[in-house]
Amino acid sequence: MKIDETKCTGCGTCVPYCPAEAISLAGRKGPQPAGGRKKQNQVAVIDFDECAECGVCLRSANCPADAIYQQELVYPRSIRSLMSDVLTIAPESQISGRGTEEMKTNEVTGRFPRGVAGLAIEVGRPITGTRLRDVEKIAMAVAALNVEFEKINPTTSMMSDIKTGKFKDELLNEKVLSAIIEFCVRVEQLPELFGILKTVEKQIDSVFSLDVACRLNPDGSNPTQSYIASAGLWVAPNGKTNVGLGRPLIQEGLSK
Amino acid sequence: MTHTLHRLGTDPEQLREDFVILVMPSKDINHVGSGPKLRRFFEIALESGAIKIGDCRKGNQYHQGGLDQVLKNVEDRAVIHAVFKDRASVIRCLKVLKAADLGMSVVVSGLFDEVGRCCQESGLVPHTINQSLGRWGKTNKLPATGIVEINTMCGHGMVSVNLIQKAIARIKAGKWTAEKAAENLFKPCMCGIFNPHRAAKILAQLAREL
Repeated sequence: MKIDETKCTGCGTCVPYCPAEAISLAGRKGPQPAGGRKKQNQVAVIDFDECAECGVCLRSANCPADAIYQQELVYPRSIRSLMSDVLTIAPESQISGRGTEEMKTNEVTGRFPRGVAGLAIEVGRPITGTRLRDVEKIAMAVAALNVEFEKINPTTSMMSDIKTGKFKDELLNEKVLSAIIEFCVRVEQLPELFGILKTVEKQIDSVFSLDVACRLNPDGSNPTQSYIASAGLWVAPNGKTNVGLGRPLIQEGLSK
Repeated sequence: MTHTLHRLGTDPEQLREDFVILVMPSKDINHVGSGPKLRRFFEIALESGAIKIGDCRKGNQYHQGGLDQVLKNVEDRAVIHAVFKDRASVIRCLKVLKAADLGMSVVVSGLFDEVGRCCQESGLVPHTINQSLGRWGKTNKLPATGIVEINTMCGHGMVSVNLIQKAIARIKAGKWTAEKAAENLFKPCMCGIFNPHRAAKILAQLAREL
């Protein structure tokens, strides 16, 4: 995102809107905005390297001078918009908001059959954002479990090798609000996975949010509960429940 | 994505007033012709007592220019939501959804025991769950818990920390009520899953404490 300094009046309205804290006010060096009645000493500037191209300032700050504009996004910078702007649609999933169907449609897709846990590691969430090199570090660490990364996911598309979790080199310094590493493991693999994450979390400069999805047992119990408890992990009292209304239902036993 | 998950909450009473129902089709399985079914969900949700609705693909009511536009612009493949502040309304909505048999996937976010009760009372059986195992990595970079609670109600991180702090400052200065501040914080959340009812309670508390 960019700000036209010849229009900006330096009012600062846009500054607090930026989730990446990339907008600030600076001393004006260029000409005064056209039509201004009094001298404007300040101008809003965007730290282009920190901007994640999320679109919040353009959409929500309601710049009174209409000074914020979207420059042409060219690869690899275009990845920032894909992973940060909720209204940008991913070509893989055709879903807006950098996400995937994961457990939301599990009764229809059978993506996570019984005995399998779906994992999502959302790097950069909440608040900190992330460079993609941190996402690569985590992806390469969990790849040691021979996981298959979800193919219908824009994060997987950024990998140069989906076996090792290696990312395309030109993307490593790109800044995004978040990127979701998504894969499945057998529920028995959860302890090993948690151990890997406890190690790699110390090697990154951002935060990540971790979640586990699973098909419930026939009696309604949670097959991942004992593994999570044994690992001593905190688990939120609130979460998502797919109530099984999608049609057609996947036929049990035919799912992968 | 997991945008209706990871809604941090420390007060169980406040979490009891925070539900999101998400509805979507599945790519290449039942997405063709899904638009009218999704629109029907919006109607059911509003009739059942939803306090907000929104569309990941097209944006919230402020971005689209009104609730009628949100309903009108739903497309096939959209991922749409409704926010509720009480269990009774969720149960009402689920009962009608079950009877309507739209064939779209329905995911309810909220306290698991509350959502379980909603399913039981509406004759539904939970199929799959998604649990948050919290925040990992450099968590010392995160602000005060109350700020994170508000921020995580927009799963795409569109409600910035500085905007939340500015809202708190305005409440403290007597310029905004907590309700007005919460409604303003809702605006950047394009999916419309930010719960202004719960946010107002947290904001009022933060304005007293910070």
